Amino acid sequence: MRAASITFISLALTTAVVGNAFYNKKQFYPSVVYITKSNPSMAVIYIQALVVVVLIGKLMQKVFFGQLRAAEFEHLADRSWYAVTETCLAFTLFRDDFAPRFVAQFILLLFLKAFHWLAEDRVDFMERSPIISWLFHLRVISLMFVLSLLDLYFVNHAYLSTVSGGASAQIVFGFEYMILLMIVLNIAIKYVLHTIDLNSDNPWDNKAVFLLYTEVVMGMFKVVLYVTFLIIMVRIFTLPLFLFRPMYYTLRSFRKAINDVILSRRAIRNMNTLYPDATPEELSAADNVCIICREEMHSASKKLPCNHIFHTSCLRSWFQRQQTCPTCRLNILRIPGDRNTGANQAANAEAQAQHAPDVPPVPHPGLPNPFMNGVFPGMFPFWQQQFNQPPAGQPGQPGQPNSGGQQPPTGATGAATGTVPGAQPGPIVMPVPPFPPMPPGFGLPFFCPPFPPAPPPFAVPPPMPPPGLATLSEEELRRLESAARDGVAARLQCLQNIQQLLDAAVLLMQQYSNAAAAASAATVTPVPSSPPSSSSAAPPDSGVATTSTTVNSASPVVTSNATQNSARSEDRPTSVSPSSETPSSSRSKEDTGNSSDLTTSVRSDGSGSSSSSINQTVTSALSPEQDEIRRRRLQKFTGIPEPMD
Amino acid sequence: MAGSALRRLMAEYKQLTLNPPEGIIAGPINEENFFEWEALITGPEGTCFEGGVFPAKLVFPSDYPLSPPKMQFTCEMFHPNIYADGRVCISILHAPGDDPMGYESSAERWSPVQSVEKILLSVVSMLAEPNDESGANVDAAKMWREDRAEFNRIAEKIVRKTLGLS
Ligand SMILES: [Zn+2]
Ligand SMILES: [Zn+2]
Repeated sequence: MRAASITFISLALTTAVVGNAFYNKKQFYPSVVYITKSNPSMAVIYIQALVVVVLIGKLMQKVFFGQLRAAEFEHLADRSWYAVTETCLAFTLFRDDFAPRFVAQFILLLFLKAFHWLAEDRVDFMERSPIISWLFHLRVISLMFVLSLLDLYFVNHAYLSTVSGGASAQIVFGFEYMILLMIVLNIAIKYVLHTIDLNSDNPWDNKAVFLLYTEVVMGMFKVVLYVTFLIIMVRIFTLPLFLFRPMYYTLRSFRKAINDVILSRRAIRNMNTLYPDATPEELSAADNVCIICREEMHSASKKLPCNHIFHTSCLRSWFQRQQTCPTCRLNILRIPGDRNTGANQAANAEAQAQHAPDVPPVPHPGLPNPFMNGVFPGMFPFWQQQFNQPPAGQPGQPGQPNSGGQQPPTGATGAATGTVPGAQPGPIVMPVPPFPPMPPGFGLPFFCPPFPPAPPPFAVPPPMPPPGLATLSEEELRRLESAARDGVAARLQCLQNIQQLLDAAVLLMQQYSNAAAAASAATVTPVPSSPPSSSSAAPPDSGVATTSTTVNSASPVVTSNATQNSARSEDRPTSVSPSSETPSSSRSKEDTGNSSDLTTSVRSDGSGSSSSSINQTVTSALSPEQDEIRRRRLQKFTGIPEPMD
Repeated sequence: MAGSALRRLMAEYKQLTLNPPEGIIAGPINEENFFEWEALITGPEGTCFEGGVFPAKLVFPSDYPLSPPKMQFTCEMFHPNIYADGRVCISILHAPGDDPMGYESSAERWSPVQSVEKILLSVVSMLAEPNDESGANVDAAKMWREDRAEFNRIAEKIVRKTLGLS
């Protein structure tokens, strides 16, 4: 109703303006000049143009999508909001050639982006509905066709105008449309996979794997595009702030895709090597329903050590998440007697990492650590490993051979002492990525938080770059290629290294975006941040408080980070670092990072509650019993009322 | 062939329609989209929520049953384990990886063994016996502990509201 009246009003205004011009000037050309010379008339014309664009959009939506579902609409609103802010940021960059034509191009870009998002949602919807009509297929196919043609046209247009007219804002459009083209391609691949799946009579088990690899390849393309874009922008213009958020998300999803591929490969390998196929007798036993998919098992099933049987494909996808039996939660990687070698061990350590809170307390004999004495059982499952080894990263000692990456915190200590693991002589032994057993600074690797993750402590130095491939000898390369176990392990190692680098990049991006957010927020809210030179307990605390405030405002899923983070921050001051330089310097770095985070979180929260919770934490931190504090803090963050003595 | 998540959801729907547990009705809001369900839960007898009929929405992830669904009451609720916006906070709805409260044992967490029916039954038992250690709604938890009479009064008001009385 309101839309209709707005349309009507703008139409009436336009008619009035045009009519008035004709009435005054009588002829076409002079009246056009008259309208363009008068600012109010032009404003009316612009509004009319906008209304027309919106109407066209509605029409296209009706043609290509029909009624939008509520979820799609929400999604669209969310993304549009970001897109509009980024567009405004981009405007500031090109304020010199700020012309109506330029604005119009940006609006068109936004407009097309919205259709790409909707198309993405629609194709994802194929997996959710049992009823996919021919109209659906027709709409999706024609939409993808139209979108790709438009994208191609605009890429071409941007290219030509850049070639003829030199670098201008057209570069931005060129890249944006290139990225949109990638998105269309991605959607098309997904659509084809879904369609094949829908039309096959049997469940298509490998679809998930195909989707996974599509994700990786497309993610890689996008990352490459964004990096090129960034470099070009920095060289020609200046730092393109509007690029950071999308770039950050692309990096993050690429990292996640790689992570998924690693996990999936590992799951498949475990599947093939560790567990026996279920025998026909076992399958024909009374209750042969697979608990994961609730369908009967006839073939291709695996038996776990606990005698529970599942479809191979179901189990595989579950093992990408967790290395436990879905039925009895037995941690199948910790069964004694399995081949505990190499990467297998890494997987083992990982399983421990995932189930850290469940691990029974393992008091290490002769470990004079207050934290290990049953205070927070299982919070530091790696300490044991760590202390069993000779202290890693000591000067003069090259990084240990990477036996399954059992070298937790060398990332930090190695950097401090200047021991570059990359210099180690071993053949395919790449620098130990702190991936399998996470060093305290990294969150759980498997559950990328669905929200912008809680600010990581920046104390984690970026990981070592892998040694150049040029330094590998002929034989090493051949080993890398082989299909033997070594080869596979080495390739996985490579993937992990890539992931490592991506981790670092994501961290950096986070730092950038935090800094940017802080810069814009600094003037808005006064922030209660602790000075960097405060007592040693304070900085980690502010870190905890930060995450918790985000937690309060967001959904419970994020909360795991609070736990993680508190563990981290407690861990740091006591970590075995040969040089006392690192902790303090990194802590102050973290502090600045955190204070900027505080700004953002306080701003998003909008209420005073966050600052009060910070105060509570700080006061409780001064009490003597650390464990009690931590428990209380955890409870406080999760909103449990606690008598404030 | 439809995706595995869809097939499992259809199987669960069939199961729930054939053998509905007492006091619970659940199914897709729209049979074109099996990933959004609506559920009606009757308040357990002998509790302060007795007699109420509480509508809730379940949203399933695309990788269901590997990840748990999200559940949210669409009526007003006042309960220690239900957020002010209606989101339900019980351990069965949390994947073992994330632990918002920091103390749930992994045995009670989500795994593919769980199902919509089990979730709804857990919610019914949650209505009967709030867990006042997990504070999704701090005020409610506090009131439950300290002023049961007032809690019952509010619950009664909510029950009447869900029935269209009041
Ligand atoms: Zn199965
Ligand atoms: Zn089992």
